[in-house]
Amino acid sequence: MADPELLLDSSIRVWVVLPIVFITFFVGVLRHYVTQLLHSDKKVALEQPKTESDLCEVLLRSRVLRENGKFLPRQSFNMRKHYFNNAEAGFFKKVKRKVVPKNPMTDPSMVMDMMKGNLTNVLPMILVGGWINWVFSGFVITKVPFPLTLRFKPMLQRGIELLSLDASWVSSASWYFLNVFGLRSMYGLILGQDNAADQSRVMQDQMSGAAMAMPPDPNKAFKSEWEALEVVNHKWALENVEEDLMSRDLNFESSS
Amino acid sequence: MASVSELYDVGWEEMRDKLRKWREDNSRNSEQIVDVGEELISDHASKLGDDVWIIYEQVMIAALDCSRDDLALTCLQELRKQFPDSHRVKRLTGMRLEALERYDEANKHYDAILEDDPTNTAARKRKISILKAQGKNGEAIRELNEYLEQFVGDQEAWHELSELYINEHDYGKAAFCLEELMMTNPHNHLYCEQYAEVKYTQGGLENLELSRKYFSQALRLNNRNMRALFGLYMSASHIAASPKVSAKVKKDNIKYAAWAANQINRAYKVKFMKSLVKLLELLSCFFFCFWQLCKTS
Repeated sequence: MADPELLLDSSIRVWVVLPIVFITFFVGVLRHYVTQLLHSDKKVALEQPKTESDLCEVLLRSRVLRENGKFLPRQSFNMRKHYFNNAEAGFFKKVKRKVVPKNPMTDPSMVMDMMKGNLTNVLPMILVGGWINWVFSGFVITKVPFPLTLRFKPMLQRGIELLSLDASWVSSASWYFLNVFGLRSMYGLILGQDNAADQSRVMQDQMSGAAMAMPPDPNKAFKSEWEALEVVNHKWALENVEEDLMSRDLNFESSS
Repeated sequence: MASVSELYDVGWEEMRDKLRKWREDNSRNSEQIVDVGEELISDHASKLGDDVWIIYEQVMIAALDCSRDDLALTCLQELRKQFPDSHRVKRLTGMRLEALERYDEANKHYDAILEDDPTNTAARKRKISILKAQGKNGEAIRELNEYLEQFVGDQEAWHELSELYINEHDYGKAAFCLEELMMTNPHNHLYCEQYAEVKYTQGGLENLELSRKYFSQALRLNNRNMRALFGLYMSASHIAASPKVSAKVKKDNIKYAAWAANQINRAYKVKFMKSLVKLLELLSCFFFCFWQLCKTS
């Protein structure tokens, strides 16, 4: 069937298309600032450093021992190595951390954050979308440049009960959703990176959060660190330091 | 009394830059800072803009060092007006109370900070230094150990702990702290040298050998470390003089000691030569000017 070239009233462009763009944009900016206001200050509890960076610090110490242990006397090096690796009392062998995964359902602070995120993002979208649909109903706004199948008609042509109308002609609601996704890059320009108006990223986070892997297993890290430390041999860097030093006269000329 | 700017003929920008350099180098020349800073804030405070607050802090700490409580109080009041709820300013208040030896009040201040923010390392360190100032070395050591269990990477804390242990004559533990420092900063010749000194103090043949090695390492890292050179000489001579060593070890150590003595002589000769040359230059300048004067007059 030939594509009926509909001629749309140009006032549609002025009074519908552009207002929807502006509305979407300003709602997004508003969302960004409201999110910043509601953003809860994540206070660093002392418990966290004690358990988690405690873990990191132990791994760091053992790594430093492996790398720079050759500057220590043999006995000191062995003493530290034993502290970590000893079969019965060594730190890596003895301390089995209980892995507590941060379950998003039970961890209260994360639930609050998720709810807040949902609230500030999804709710305005629904509200504004509905309002636009109600206000700008009954006519088509624009034509998408690519052909669509008939399946899209009920979705994109709310309120227009015309069976013969090409599915490429869309109503205001679909133009609104197009804007929501299209203005993301504009938000990036104007509000700077990492802004809260960027809905799709939030949705991505939610989806990936649900499928999140367990936090890095400390036991595995300990085991690999234990193995690495076992293999290290103490080659004392100071074995021949006197011979090296006395091979030539000292240089007193360097500028202080 | 002439002001600093008149004495040295510098403008306020140079004074401000000098203060910034001292701040970045962490130099503790408190009297100079007080002189320069006091004039800067009394005469040029408005021109400094936002720099004035950090200069207040710097001058205040220097004033506490020089017992200038009046100046310290002025700076503190300005800072309190501007930053009423700041932990950093509370810490400065505590420091002033410490300087006035009102330790209990100072402790109260620091406890308040820690209640609000348990991870504040500055307040914890000030509490430990209060214990040290009161002479309670044992408690200070205990608190510092607890602190280090949580903040293992804090270099200056390890250094402070080693000093406390040395004061308590617990050289084994001091050596442990210095080993931690050496491990994390293998290129710092000062830690090597301090470790060597501790080992030398502990005594015994093995420790003397270790100290000789670490003095050499310090020298290798920095050829101009005279203390390490003397240390090398002393430790080598001691080992050589000890009756229990084998002949070869004795011979080696005599060689090391001789080399060290040679280097020391060289160092002082070089210094002596340099100063002699400078003196000769100065004298020749004098004579030249004198001669010119005589010629013209």
